[in-house]
Amino acid sequence: MLYQSKERRDGALQELRYSVSNNSEVLQSAKDKTGRKIVGVFHSVVPEELIYAAGLHPTRLFAHFDEPITLADAHMQTFFCSNVRAIWDQVLKGKYPYLNGVVIPTACEAVDYIYQTWKRHNPYEFVTSVVLPFKKTENALSFLAAEIGRLKKSLEGFTGREISSDSLHHAIELYNKNRELLKKLYELRKSESPPLCGVDAYYAVMSGFILDKEQHNVLLEQLLGELQSRSDSPRADVRLLVSGGCMIDVRVLEAIESLGAVIVADDTNTGSRSFWHQVDAAKDPLSALASRCMAVPSPFTTSSEERLQYISEMIREYRVDGVVFAIQKYCESEKFDLPFLEGEIRGRFGVPTTYVETDYLADIAPLKTRVEAFIESLKAV
Amino acid sequence: MAEKKKKGLKVNKAIGEAIAKCYQDAQTKRPLAWSLLAGGNPLIEIAHAAGIQLVFPENYGAACSTKHASGRYCEIAEAHDYSSDLCSYCRNCFGYIFAQDAEPPQGGMPEPDLFLMTTNACVHYIKWFDSLRLMYNKPLVMVNTPRVMDKGRVEDYYLEHTVREIEGAIAEIERITNIKVTHEKLSEAVKLSDELNDYWREIIEMQKAVPAPMNLPDIGNVLFPVVGLRGTREGVELMKQTYTEVKQCVAEKRGAIEEEKHRLMFLNIPLWYNLRLAGYFAEKGACFPFMDYAFYVWPPVKMDPSRPIESLAAKALYGQLNEGPDAQIDNLIRDIKEFHIDGVVIHSDRSCKVMSLGLLDAARIIRETYHIPVLVFDLDHTDERVYSDAEFKNRVDAFLEMLE
Repeated sequence: MLYQSKERRDGALQELRYSVSNNSEVLQSAKDKTGRKIVGVFHSVVPEELIYAAGLHPTRLFAHFDEPITLADAHMQTFFCSNVRAIWDQVLKGKYPYLNGVVIPTACEAVDYIYQTWKRHNPYEFVTSVVLPFKKTENALSFLAAEIGRLKKSLEGFTGREISSDSLHHAIELYNKNRELLKKLYELRKSESPPLCGVDAYYAVMSGFILDKEQHNVLLEQLLGELQSRSDSPRADVRLLVSGGCMIDVRVLEAIESLGAVIVADDTNTGSRSFWHQVDAAKDPLSALASRCMAVPSPFTTSSEERLQYISEMIREYRVDGVVFAIQKYCESEKFDLPFLEGEIRGRFGVPTTYVETDYLADIAPLKTRVEAFIESLKAV
Repeated sequence: MAEKKKKGLKVNKAIGEAIAKCYQDAQTKRPLAWSLLAGGNPLIEIAHAAGIQLVFPENYGAACSTKHASGRYCEIAEAHDYSSDLCSYCRNCFGYIFAQDAEPPQGGMPEPDLFLMTTNACVHYIKWFDSLRLMYNKPLVMVNTPRVMDKGRVEDYYLEHTVREIEGAIAEIERITNIKVTHEKLSEAVKLSDELNDYWREIIEMQKAVPAPMNLPDIGNVLFPVVGLRGTREGVELMKQTYTEVKQCVAEKRGAIEEEKHRLMFLNIPLWYNLRLAGYFAEKGACFPFMDYAFYVWPPVKMDPSRPIESLAAKALYGQLNEGPDAQIDNLIRDIKEFHIDGVVIHSDRSCKVMSLGLLDAARIIRETYHIPVLVFDLDHTDERVYSDAEFKNRVDAFLEMLE
């Protein structure tokens, strides 16, 4: 049975879904309406609050899933992550007409070095970087706070206006509210009969990378209200956690849930990792933003052990029956952690795992076959 | 065709013995650390100052590859779920650990007491050493270094952060090994590292001579003291010998190959399993006086023994791996001219992402600037399973014909 019924797509969820599926149109329209310039970011580790406080509209950069990679092949070899290559390809093809600039963090190799390629080809008015530490110490925190201070100056240089402490405080409050609402939404997935499935959660989180946070918060509150009044959700017999990096391709989640399982939790850059940690509004803002960036459990800044802790808490809290590692081809930092995480999750927690590889525009059928066998094995337990 | 390549520098024998000694000593001496080489890891000088025996997993990858053991080790790692997407130095290392061979190449790398690394190379290395730490349950001393995203923009707080990181690392090493790293010891190691640098700088400079005194295998060999013996008297002596021999070659106009007709640049890590390829080029009169892996990844950054930690921090921040393609491309454009290069061979290395990004842009910019032939091939520096000799030589032949 397909988990989501048509009715479930109505209301707030319908709007959130629309914004993801029509992101170019939505962003262009937001820009036309508000006059705010649009700045793309790679990864949830970028402190978007600063961009927002600068009077800009931050958006996560994603490839449109309708374009084979051609032009980027002249710049990036095919042995780099195809999500990053696809973004670069679409930049070269002018597929982000609404974009004014970009903030690129140090993350994986592909993202790190696309920064210099980006600068060399200079497609937009503004490009800057944020250098992240690989450690989570006091020395690393004070470094990152200084680096975020540099980002602040860089944004101020771009807009020609100082970011006031009031506007930064407002942005932090707004983003904290957003993260709190998303966590509430995820809380509902702990239920025996979760009122939203993994695909719904995907749209709820992803839409936040496109819509203005004020608008997103209104829609999330509306969605929470709608879901809390529902009592007809089916019981989730097979409860899965999906772990991977940038889980942008919704077809992967749709394929998994079309097989009779429900994704009740995730450990992805496009899911829980992006909102799980709050910014401490009572602290010095730059340092508080740095703390949150460092807490994001992305594998390129997080040890395998810390990742295990994050995933194992999810397994326990969401009563997960099985873990699907769905990892992008050439996402090496995720792949490095895989043998350790699979071994520990199976061995220490007795939770079965499986691994599938994803790739931009790849045929989804082999992945579906593998996950189907996994779900069948879970049902047989 | 007549054999035109020569046997290389005499000092190669002494360097080979130094490599063998490193692995022999690793079998018995303690404390033993597995240390990264890449990016000018500042912990190498510190470890030498402390008398910690070092062994280098990257060098071990190259050593296994030259003995044709890496293909099997990579396969074993893959059977343990380490993806073929990962760097083959890392897979070689995991495969070596899982294989538990009775007689591994060079006697193998015994279980260490600690791991030493700096983050300035790539994410693969960070994850690699994190995985090793968990496998052996031994401490990892890690120096975090900020990536230099814009050419030449090293903020003051980048340097300050790195200095504090190194200070913290020294304290950790002292705690783990119970060895005191005094200022005097450290200062002496930095002084030796700088002496080595001076020779290295001169040697690089002499590679501009026509004919070139060293070819690719010589440069590959000399890398061991350049990267692994920094901060030691032994390293300085080997570099001095190399310098003396190279200088003599230049004075006598004695080239690394007979009849040097073409001077080529090699970009990226060599194919360790097939260093004889340089001989194939040499047969056609082509020499490689330049390899960016050696000259840019470990540049001779000037060091000041009176400020050892600051010097080590600067060493860690500068270098191709931490600075990215921007600096590399500008340097290449300069050095093609200075080294009288008339062709460029680019190894687009599926296992070394950090050194391969930007190379396609570099190829285009070089062609546009100098109109010289550029050969780009996709292979792997350690895992020889992806290499096809006939296919590769066909491409080399076509490239060499363009040079004629």
